[in-house]
Amino acid sequence: MKGYRKYFLNKLAWFLVTFVIAFGLNFILPRLMPGDPVAAIMNRAAAGMTNQTAIQQVYERYTELFGTNKSMHEQFALYVRNAFKGDFGISFSQYPRRVADIIKTSILWTLALQFPAIIVGWIIGNALGALAAYLKGGFDKLLMPVSIFLSNIPQFGMAIILLVIFAVNAKWFPTSGGYGFDLIPSFTWSFVWSVFVHYQLPFWSIVLVAIGGQAIGMRSMAIYELNADYVKYSRFMGIKDRRILGYVFRNAMLPQVTGLALAIGTMVSGALVAEIIFSYPGLGTIIMTAVLGRDYPLISAATLVITVMALTANFIIEILYGFIDPRIKAAQAD
Amino acid sequence: MKPTKFFIVVLVTLSLMLGACQPAGTSEPLATEEPVATGRPAAEEPADPNALPRDETLYFNGLQWNPLKGWNPYSSDMNNAMGIGDGGNNYSAQIPVFETLYMYNMLDGKVYPLLADGDYVWNDAMTELTVRIKTAAKWSDGTQVTAEDVAYTYASNLKYETSNGANYKPFIKTIEAVDPQTVVIKAILNDAGKAANPLVVAQYLSHVYVNQKAFTQKLEERVAGDPAAFKADPAEDAIGSGPYLPYFADESKVVLIRDDEYWGQDASMWGKLPVPKYLAHVIYKDNAAGFTALQAGEVDVSQQFNANVQDLWLKDGLPVSTYLAEAPYMVAASLPTAYFNLNSYGLDNVAVRQAIALAVDYDTIIANAMTNQSPTFAQVPRSIMNPTTGEQAMYNRNVVKDLQWTGNDIKSATALLDEAGIKDTDGDGWRELDGKKLSYKALCPNGWTDWQAAIEIVAAAGEKIGIDITTEFPEWSVYQTVFTDAKVNNYDIFMVWSNGASPTSPWGRARQLMSSEFVGTSNNWNGNWGGYSNARVDELLALIPHETDQAKLKEYYTELTKIYLTDVPSFTLMYRPDQFHTVNESIWTNFPNAEDGTNPPVPPTNLVKGYGIAGLYNLTLVSD
Repeated sequence: MKGYRKYFLNKLAWFLVTFVIAFGLNFILPRLMPGDPVAAIMNRAAAGMTNQTAIQQVYERYTELFGTNKSMHEQFALYVRNAFKGDFGISFSQYPRRVADIIKTSILWTLALQFPAIIVGWIIGNALGALAAYLKGGFDKLLMPVSIFLSNIPQFGMAIILLVIFAVNAKWFPTSGGYGFDLIPSFTWSFVWSVFVHYQLPFWSIVLVAIGGQAIGMRSMAIYELNADYVKYSRFMGIKDRRILGYVFRNAMLPQVTGLALAIGTMVSGALVAEIIFSYPGLGTIIMTAVLGRDYPLISAATLVITVMALTANFIIEILYGFIDPRIKAAQAD
Repeated sequence: MKPTKFFIVVLVTLSLMLGACQPAGTSEPLATEEPVATGRPAAEEPADPNALPRDETLYFNGLQWNPLKGWNPYSSDMNNAMGIGDGGNNYSAQIPVFETLYMYNMLDGKVYPLLADGDYVWNDAMTELTVRIKTAAKWSDGTQVTAEDVAYTYASNLKYETSNGANYKPFIKTIEAVDPQTVVIKAILNDAGKAANPLVVAQYLSHVYVNQKAFTQKLEERVAGDPAAFKADPAEDAIGSGPYLPYFADESKVVLIRDDEYWGQDASMWGKLPVPKYLAHVIYKDNAAGFTALQAGEVDVSQQFNANVQDLWLKDGLPVSTYLAEAPYMVAASLPTAYFNLNSYGLDNVAVRQAIALAVDYDTIIANAMTNQSPTFAQVPRSIMNPTTGEQAMYNRNVVKDLQWTGNDIKSATALLDEAGIKDTDGDGWRELDGKKLSYKALCPNGWTDWQAAIEIVAAAGEKIGIDITTEFPEWSVYQTVFTDAKVNNYDIFMVWSNGASPTSPWGRARQLMSSEFVGTSNNWNGNWGGYSNARVDELLALIPHETDQAKLKEYYTELTKIYLTDVPSFTLMYRPDQFHTVNESIWTNFPNAEDGTNPPVPPTNLVKGYGIAGLYNLTLVSD
C-alpha cells in the first residue's frame, strides 16, 4: 500500500500544478484575442443613437461596469477572489445576465445529450469491435468498412444526413429544438414525449460517429490480444471460450477506457455541431457566442468547468489504473 | 455459436438499459425551465398551459437569436426583440408589449397616432411640440395612461442615463404634462432660437416607449436610484400598454399572450383585438434551422434572409409568399455600402474611387449575394435615397441622370484612370499613382455570406481595371473595433450597413454617408467611416431639419445626391430590405402584401414593428 500512496500523492501533485496553470491560462488566453468586448456590444447599445458624445458616454459606462478599463493584474486579482466564492461575474455579451446563471440553464441540456451519447457510442462500438475480432469472417468484413465509413463522416455531415432523411423527408422526427415548437415546458406526458423525440436525432448523430471509431480501435486491440500466448495457452487447457473472451475483453479495453475518460471530461464543451444543426439547447453554442463576442467572464468560466472536469476524469482514471493494472503503478512509483 | 449468442444477449441487454435511460436523462433540464412568472393580473391562463394551439399562435423567426434577458423597457440590454426592440437604426419600435406615442410607417414615411390623439403640433416659433393623449389609453393593470407618464418617462431616461436619455438630451430639454391628456415637448434651441433639430425631436415620438410612472417609481425604489442597476434590472414586473403580455421565455423560445382587456379595442384606436392569441418566437441557432422550420410550416412570419425564396412556392409548391409577388420580393429600405478609406494611399483620388465603383458588377452581386431580393441599379438609380416611393420622390432624378452608373463598365473605368494619368508604368499589370502601386484590402465581417460574396466581386472588378484588391474577412468582434475607430482604421474598402427608413430619413442617411462631424472620431457607430469631408454637405445637412418647404427640400436633397455621386466617398453595392418578410400561409393568411389594398398601406415589418402591427388585426385563419 505504501507504493500506492506514493503513486497517489505524485498524481495529486501533478493534478494541482496542472490546475493552477490551466486556471491562469483560462484567464489570460481569452484576453489576448484581438477585439474589444465593449465594442462588441456597442453595436446593440448604440443602435438608434445619433449623438456621438452620447455614444462615447455609453461606451465608458460599459467599460467601467465590466472593469475592462482596469489593469490586467487588478482584473486577475478580482477574478481569483470571485472564482473562489463561486462567482464568475456578469457576462459581457449577455449583460446583465450572470455567468453562473447562463451556464446553469444550459449545462443540463449538454450533459443529458452528451453523456448518454458518449457511453452508448463507446459500449456499442467496443462490443462490435470485439465481436468482429472474435467472429472474423463475414461479420468482420461487413463491420470494418461500415465502421471506417461511419468514423470518417464528419459530425456535421452525419447530423445533416439524419436531418434530411428522417426529419425533412420522412418526417419521423422534428427538425429542430429541444422540445416541440408549440409546447411550453411542464411535467406532462406530451412534453416528456416531445423531449424524447427531439432527443433522438442529435443523440444518434453523435453516437453513430463514435461507434465507428471505437469499433475500429477495439477490433485491432482484440485481434492483438486473441493472438497472445495466454489465449492460445488457455485454449490448450480447454478453458471455455466465454471465459477466455472475458480476459481478452478486459485487456483490450484498457486503452479504450482512457479515451472514454477524456471524452467524458471534455463533454461539457458541448456537442456544438449537433446543437447548431438541430437548434438544440446547450452550452456549445453559448461558448461559441462567448468567444465571438469576446465575453471573457463567460469564456473563463466555461473553460474552467471543462478544465476541472477533464483533469478530474484523468485523475480518476490514473488512480483506477493503479488498481486495474499494477504494472503502471509499479513503473510510475519508482 | 455460443459466443455469438453471448454477445447478442449483451447487446440486447444494453440497448434495453439505454432505452430505459434516455427519457430519464433528457427530462433533467425540466426543473430549470419553469415558465417565467409575469405577475400580470390580466394574463389569462390558457386551459392547457402545456400547449400553444396552432390556430391561435403566430410563429416568428429571425428576430430573436438568443435567449432574452428581461422586460425592462428602459434598458438597451434586454435582447428582447419581440418586446423591447426600439428599432435600432430605423427608429420605429416593436410595439406588441410597450407602446410609443406614434407608429412610423416606412411605406409612406408618415407617423400614425397610437397612444397619441391626433397629429402632433409644433408652435409657430418651432420651439415646442404638443401631443394629446387618447383618453381610452390604459396600462395593462387598468390604470389610465396620462401625460404625467410621458413626462416621467423622459425625466427617468435622462436621470438614469439610458441610451435614449443620452441620445435625446442634446435635442429635447424637457417633456412636461400640461394636463392629464396634454404633453408639451420643449426642444433645446439653437442660436437662432429654434429647435436645434426638429426632425430628431419628432423622431422621439415613434421611437421611445412611454412607460408607466408607478412602475418606474417601483423600479427606482428597488434599485435605490443606482443608474447601472436601473438599466440592468430585468423588470419582470414591467407594465406595458400594448396588446400583448409576456407569457413565457426560456433558452428555446419567447411567447407573448394577448391581453384581452387591451385598451386598443376602443373605437378611437383599432376597434378590436389583434387576431392571434399568442405570438411565439422559437430561437433558431442559424438561418438554415429557421429556413427548415419555415418550410415545415412551423414558422408563419420569417424575418431572415432566405436565399432563393421564390423556390419555396415555385419548386416546392408551398403556400409561402413575400410582400411583392415578383422579384425583388421585399421592400428594400437600406443601402449596404462599401466605404473608401480616404486615408489609404490613392483613395483620396476621386478618379480611383470612381473607377472602382464603375467597374463593380452589381447585377452579379444582386443575383448571387441577394438572390435577386434587391432592385437593380437600372431599376432604382443611385442616390442617397432608399428605394421606397416616399424617399424616391424627395430628389430630382433627372438632374443627376448623367452621373449614374450601373456597373461592370470596365471601358469607362480604365479610360478614367488613363485620363488621370494612373497607368501601369512598370509593366507588372497593376497601375501606379506617382510611381506607387495601387493595392488595397477589401473587407467585411466573416460569416456574413451575402456581403462576402459582394466583396469578392469588388475585388474581381479591381483586377479587371489593374488595381490590386485582395479580400479579407475578419471576425465581426474584430471588424467592428477597427472600422468604428478612425485612429486604428486601416481597412481600405470596407462594408457597412446604412440607415433604413425612419422619421429622420433621408436626412439621417445623408448625414451617415457624408457628414464631416464623424471624421477622426472613435466609437463611431454613426457614419462617414471613410473620413470624407465637404463644407457644402455640412451646410446642407444643417439646413434640412429646419426646412419645411418641400420644393426647397427636394433641391437640397438633389444637391446632396449630386455631390455624393460626383465625389464617390462610398458606393452602394445592393439594396436590402429593412426587415425580411416572408410568410407561410398554411395556418394564417391575409398578411400585408403590396396588393392587399390597405389604406394607409400596412408595411412589411413583421406585424410587430411600427405601423406594421396593424397587420395583426387583419389576419384570418386559412381554415375559416
